[in-house]
Amino acid sequence: MDYSKQIQEIASKLFAENKIDYFVGYKQNSFDDSQVPFLITDPAEIPKLVFTDRSVFNLANYLKPDHTKRKRVGLVVKGCDSRALNLMLTESQVKRENVYIIGICCEGVLNEKGEKAQNCVECVMPDPVVYDEMIGTPTGKREYKVNVDIRELATKALEERADYFESIFENCIRCNACRHSCPLCYCAKCCLDQETSTLYHGANTSSGAMHALMTWSLHLAGRCVDCRNCEKACPSHLPLHLLHKQNESVIYENFQQHLAGMEKDDRGAFYKYSLSDPDDFIL
Amino acid sequence: METEVKEAQGKIISAENPDITAPADWQPVIMGILCNWCSYAGSDLTGTSRIQYPPNIRIIRVPCSSRVDPWFIIKSLQTTADGVLISGCHPGDCHYISGNYYARRRFLVTKKLLNFVGYHENRIQFSWVSAAEGPKFAKVVAKVTEDIKKLGPLHRYKKENF
Repeated sequence: MDYSKQIQEIASKLFAENKIDYFVGYKQNSFDDSQVPFLITDPAEIPKLVFTDRSVFNLANYLKPDHTKRKRVGLVVKGCDSRALNLMLTESQVKRENVYIIGICCEGVLNEKGEKAQNCVECVMPDPVVYDEMIGTPTGKREYKVNVDIRELATKALEERADYFESIFENCIRCNACRHSCPLCYCAKCCLDQETSTLYHGANTSSGAMHALMTWSLHLAGRCVDCRNCEKACPSHLPLHLLHKQNESVIYENFQQHLAGMEKDDRGAFYKYSLSDPDDFIL
Repeated sequence: METEVKEAQGKIISAENPDITAPADWQPVIMGILCNWCSYAGSDLTGTSRIQYPPNIRIIRVPCSSRVDPWFIIKSLQTTADGVLISGCHPGDCHYISGNYYARRRFLVTKKLLNFVGYHENRIQFSWVSAAEGPKFAKVVAKVTEDIKKLGPLHRYKKENF
């Protein structure tokens, strides 16, 4: 999967027609074969744009900052990124006319070990759901699979699972990089930033981290698109996908097979209800 | 899971973790978050009807069950409570028409997530109690108290200074 040429062509065309102010793509990292997000305003920098199976980051995140929010932006999205972007459009965070979306029919990206990433193996929608221009051949929606780690953890005893999660939460340094790297965490004033609320638990302990990560994952429940930007940003390498995939599997199983960002104007599982939702856990 | 409270040398042994014990007269603290229009009135009816129910529950009144933020549950469990009971109107009876339908979705996901990270599922309980169901409220509180007594004191993710 190497679409660098096509992306460069489209970017230079967009700059030539004055359709965009910014272009967001990927650039080769200078010290190894990984790639970094690359924001350009100058058409002279277009030859640096690349797209291969190392283009792991979700570029929809770069529509959040003030300097790109009200500008016309061209950006490259894979299947999962386009679902996040679809939600951002639905939630009025981005104006559709302000973005020029280059959708990639993704064949899966690699993780740092050079294997196909776990979320790509389990991907449900490799094709872009929203785009102006599509690159590659669409392969269609795939069957939803419950995450392999979730299945494994579900077989463990409660105490064993609790010990495991406590060791995870202990390593959290409360840097909030997960929140900043998430395209769907765009609140100007986040509830995790308040220090005066008596409900907020700001201590840098496993219970404080548990409070923060629970809150964060529940705010993203029914909206998370499994792009794993949070996990790539986490300096402590916490397996943050566990929380999201757990919520996703519960939501998929119980709420009419809901998957976030797949359709236009679908705001997420918690913004709607059905009379036939499961009631058996309620006394 | 054990069906009866294990008692050894005058102590309660947690069904969740055998290392956790409590004195035989240990009483759990249960945070009850009740919706103003149904369950709170229902609990009031229980009292005015002179129906006995365990005094372990501490009640907070909220406008609607959908007002319940997962923070309420997490904060309760991290500080004093050994369990949480959230109660609202029956589906279709919500004072705000559809609040409890939204709440029901959130409760399911919250309960499963908290169970996933290590809280026993019986520590977070939900119920629908209408304003006319005084006896049901007493039964629900008795059941929840009994369940949590079996689990013993909560020791996970406790907030040290609050």
